[in-house]
Amino acid sequence: MTAAANWEAGRRERAKTMLGAYPDRRSAIMPLLYLASLEYGHVTEQAMTDVAELVGVTPAQVQSVASFYTMFKREEVGKYLVSVCTSISCHLLGGDAVIDAVEDATGVERGRTGDDGTFSVERAECIGACGGAPAVQVNYETVEGLTPDKAKALVKWLADSQPEVVLADEMQQLFGGVRSFDWGPLESEGPVAAVPAFGPFGSAKEGR
Amino acid sequence: MPDTVSININGVAHDVEAGQRLIVAAESVGEVIPRFCHHDKLEPVGKCRMCLVEVEGPRGKVLMPSCTLLVSDGMVVDTESAVVKKAQEGVLEFLLINHPLDCPICDKGGECPLQDQTMQWGPGESRFVEAKRNFEKPIPVSDVVLLDRERCVLCDRCVRAADDIAGDPLLTFIDRGNHVQIQTFPNEPFSSYFSGNTVQLCPVGALTSVDYRFKARPWDLGHTRSVSFVDTVHSSVDAQTSRGKLVRVYGIENDRVNEGWLSDKDRFIFSAVHSPDRVTAPLVRGDDGFEEASWSDAMALVASRLGGYLGGEVGAIGGANNTNEEAYTLAKFMRSVVGSSNLDAQLGDGLNPHLAATVTPRATIDDLDRAATIFVWGPDLKETLPVLYLRVRKAVRNGATLVVASPAGTGLDAIAAHVVRYRAGSGSDVLRKFASGDKGYEGAREALDAGPVVGLVGRSSLAEDPMMAEAAAGVVRSLPDSKLLTLLTRANIYGALDMGLAPNLLPGRVSTADDEHAEMLEDAWGHLPRGTGRSTTQMLEDLASGAMRAMVLVGADPVRDCPDPGLAQRALEAAEFVVAFDAFVTDSSIHADVILPAAVWGEVSGTATNLEGRVQEVNASVRPAGQARSLNAALDDIAHLMGVDLRAAKVADVTREIAAVAPAYAGITPDHLTFESDGDGVIVPLEGEQPLKFIPVEVSVPVVTSRLTLHFPDALYDDGVWNRNAPTIAGLARQAEARLHPRDASMLPVHEGDIVSIEERFVMPVTLDDTVPVGSIVVPRNVVGTKGLTASTSVKVEAVEGGA
Repeated sequence: MTAAANWEAGRRERAKTMLGAYPDRRSAIMPLLYLASLEYGHVTEQAMTDVAELVGVTPAQVQSVASFYTMFKREEVGKYLVSVCTSISCHLLGGDAVIDAVEDATGVERGRTGDDGTFSVERAECIGACGGAPAVQVNYETVEGLTPDKAKALVKWLADSQPEVVLADEMQQLFGGVRSFDWGPLESEGPVAAVPAFGPFGSAKEGR
Repeated sequence: MPDTVSININGVAHDVEAGQRLIVAAESVGEVIPRFCHHDKLEPVGKCRMCLVEVEGPRGKVLMPSCTLLVSDGMVVDTESAVVKKAQEGVLEFLLINHPLDCPICDKGGECPLQDQTMQWGPGESRFVEAKRNFEKPIPVSDVVLLDRERCVLCDRCVRAADDIAGDPLLTFIDRGNHVQIQTFPNEPFSSYFSGNTVQLCPVGALTSVDYRFKARPWDLGHTRSVSFVDTVHSSVDAQTSRGKLVRVYGIENDRVNEGWLSDKDRFIFSAVHSPDRVTAPLVRGDDGFEEASWSDAMALVASRLGGYLGGEVGAIGGANNTNEEAYTLAKFMRSVVGSSNLDAQLGDGLNPHLAATVTPRATIDDLDRAATIFVWGPDLKETLPVLYLRVRKAVRNGATLVVASPAGTGLDAIAAHVVRYRAGSGSDVLRKFASGDKGYEGAREALDAGPVVGLVGRSSLAEDPMMAEAAAGVVRSLPDSKLLTLLTRANIYGALDMGLAPNLLPGRVSTADDEHAEMLEDAWGHLPRGTGRSTTQMLEDLASGAMRAMVLVGADPVRDCPDPGLAQRALEAAEFVVAFDAFVTDSSIHADVILPAAVWGEVSGTATNLEGRVQEVNASVRPAGQARSLNAALDDIAHLMGVDLRAAKVADVTREIAAVAPAYAGITPDHLTFESDGDGVIVPLEGEQPLKFIPVEVSVPVVTSRLTLHFPDALYDDGVWNRNAPTIAGLARQAEARLHPRDASMLPVHEGDIVSIEERFVMPVTLDDTVPVGSIVVPRNVVGTKGLTASTSVKVEAVEGGA
């Protein structure tokens, strides 16, 4: 019996599609880790073992990949992961004040998860929104042109309305400011097109 | 002649072999470039940046890592410029940022590339004033290897050795940036049969072995080059001693044999030499069991008892754990002094001696590097001949096609192009279909038609008919451009057979039926009984029935190792007189009337012959334990007491006599064998042709049918006396388990973890395994829980009531 046999049916199907998307099965480790962390909440030891079995490598090799990338969470993450960019553009335009505000509003220090499991706060490296700095991501959905006050309002809105799925456009409309030119995802082919294996992974919008 | 290119290093022009890395080419002309991550036997990664050199290019001189750069014609290189010097100092300062500089308490201190290169190329001082990384130290990455992460310079050598060479990618980098470290997965240790190699490869003191930690300082160690006696590959080793004890065994790069690699058993078994359980004085059976005796009393007893029988009433079993000189002396003693041809170094667990010792055409280990197709029909190489397994892996990495046939999964299956699985006992059926390219086997058959082919043939387990290997050899031999290696596994068994320790062989690959050579040998020895003697199985049967009366056991444990342990037990109990030359009181030597303490590997010098017929020097590195003596010295004395001068007191005299009377060894002189002269040993026969050539033909072997047939393979770490007495690896010994196909399990019916009994006596848990063919059961041999199980293909298996 393969390890992923207990995964939710839809995820098993997605895993199959992902494995088929690459000439070398090993290339599917990263998308599969996302899928496994949906299954287990974060990248647990079991998640890594499952992925290793699916791909045909050792768990140690999966761990090597999973631990390299900060977006694979190996510890439990709150319902809302607030990632505040403090790379150059955001730093110059007040990203540090924004993260202070987020810490203040959530009561959660950067790098931590609140006791009630609602918020996790982290400092992120460049999230590709320099044109709209300072930028923040909530569950990897980007809001640009924030100020400390708007960030606090965003946190309050999240805490009060507890949306099941957060969407970039919605947050941008409610709390965002200047937005950078964003054309990548519109391309369906070529070097800036979406990664094939992320097609089956789906988008936040489908989640609504 | 390989193509050459001309390159200029530091203003001097050199012609070097094309296609190699600059760092290797430079070293070949005497320009050593410092390095950490580069290793001749590993793929380049360019990780450490220590080997930066300036290379002229279209944009002027640039710094490039010489370990990843291929040489090209007209390349101009500077390895000593001010820029290179600055780069080296910078890299070393950087590598030392987090290094603890705990050299005074580090095992690597004194032989450490980081220490040495810092001395030679380093900046002398560091500007780093911040806190260094701290880790829990040491953490065990396996049962035999410890890791001090703060010493690591992240060179990737251990990771590459584990993945590329050993095929066990269990050691990897985790995290990134300043947090990068070597780690295993939680609860999945680096349990590789080759983990010790990473300790030797590590260019710093990050990886250390549990048994050497804090034992000695490198500059105090004595070094002796020898060969490993763990299996028949005879890997080159550096046996290292401190204060008269072996403390460490390192691999030596002998590219014809082991390329520097060792199995962990090769590396860690030496501690058994110093086991407190060694027999250190002669033991003579008295009224209350064994009593210590003097050598002279014990030998006088042996001489008078052995002299009291007719030659044919005495037999000798063993000699495979001895040097060629010891084996030869035993053969000479038994034949010319005792007057018996009943000699066998194999315990009924091997092959036809003619096939094993004289197969023609015989391959060499490095023929595997040149083979287009490798065909394995025999034991699991990973378990029985692990260094040969690495060589096959290397060949496959370089493009060879591998075909593996076995009654159960083997370590090589993962890289085999074709796996032929047969139910234990039905090998001949499958071999026939396979040889004729029957449906289902076309691919494998096609691969065999692409030569050169090297066939590795042996007995997949003790339960298999030894004729199966001969049948497979016959198939290989019928292929054009094919060569064969037979797969016997015990220490110096090939040397023992070559020295005539077989019922149908005389020294030097001569058949006992060869009258001409027998006459020559009789002239040399004075006396030689003619004809074929009894094999181990026949001797045991005849002892049990009373047709034979006395037995000489030489480092052999038939009660453990022969296919029918019950027969061995009965035979030794029935024998009137048993003398055992042994280092331990074993399940067999416990039945002896006299045990003479035998000097063992590490304590004896001489020569040995490996599975390809390569003769190499074996050197003593420590004094024998207690009163232990070498076999040739002891037999020489006993022969004297029986009125014969064997001229075997000195090893060098015996080596010379072998060259004179053993035809396949003609012309061998000490010059061929001293490691100073070449280090690789020589393949015999050196000159002329060997008298006996066994050319295998396709033979038919009966198929065994039974509801469940037994596959009874050897495990690397078993419950043998040596493994048990080597504390480093004793705990790794395999436990008994019965592997069954789920369909057979459901018939019994049993589930995973349930208990079954085999032959109503041996109980063990069940492991479900769908690589086991339906209708067979796989049980590891000679492990705790299977001792005494008869190796018969047909076995009775039952579920145990009240099992888990």
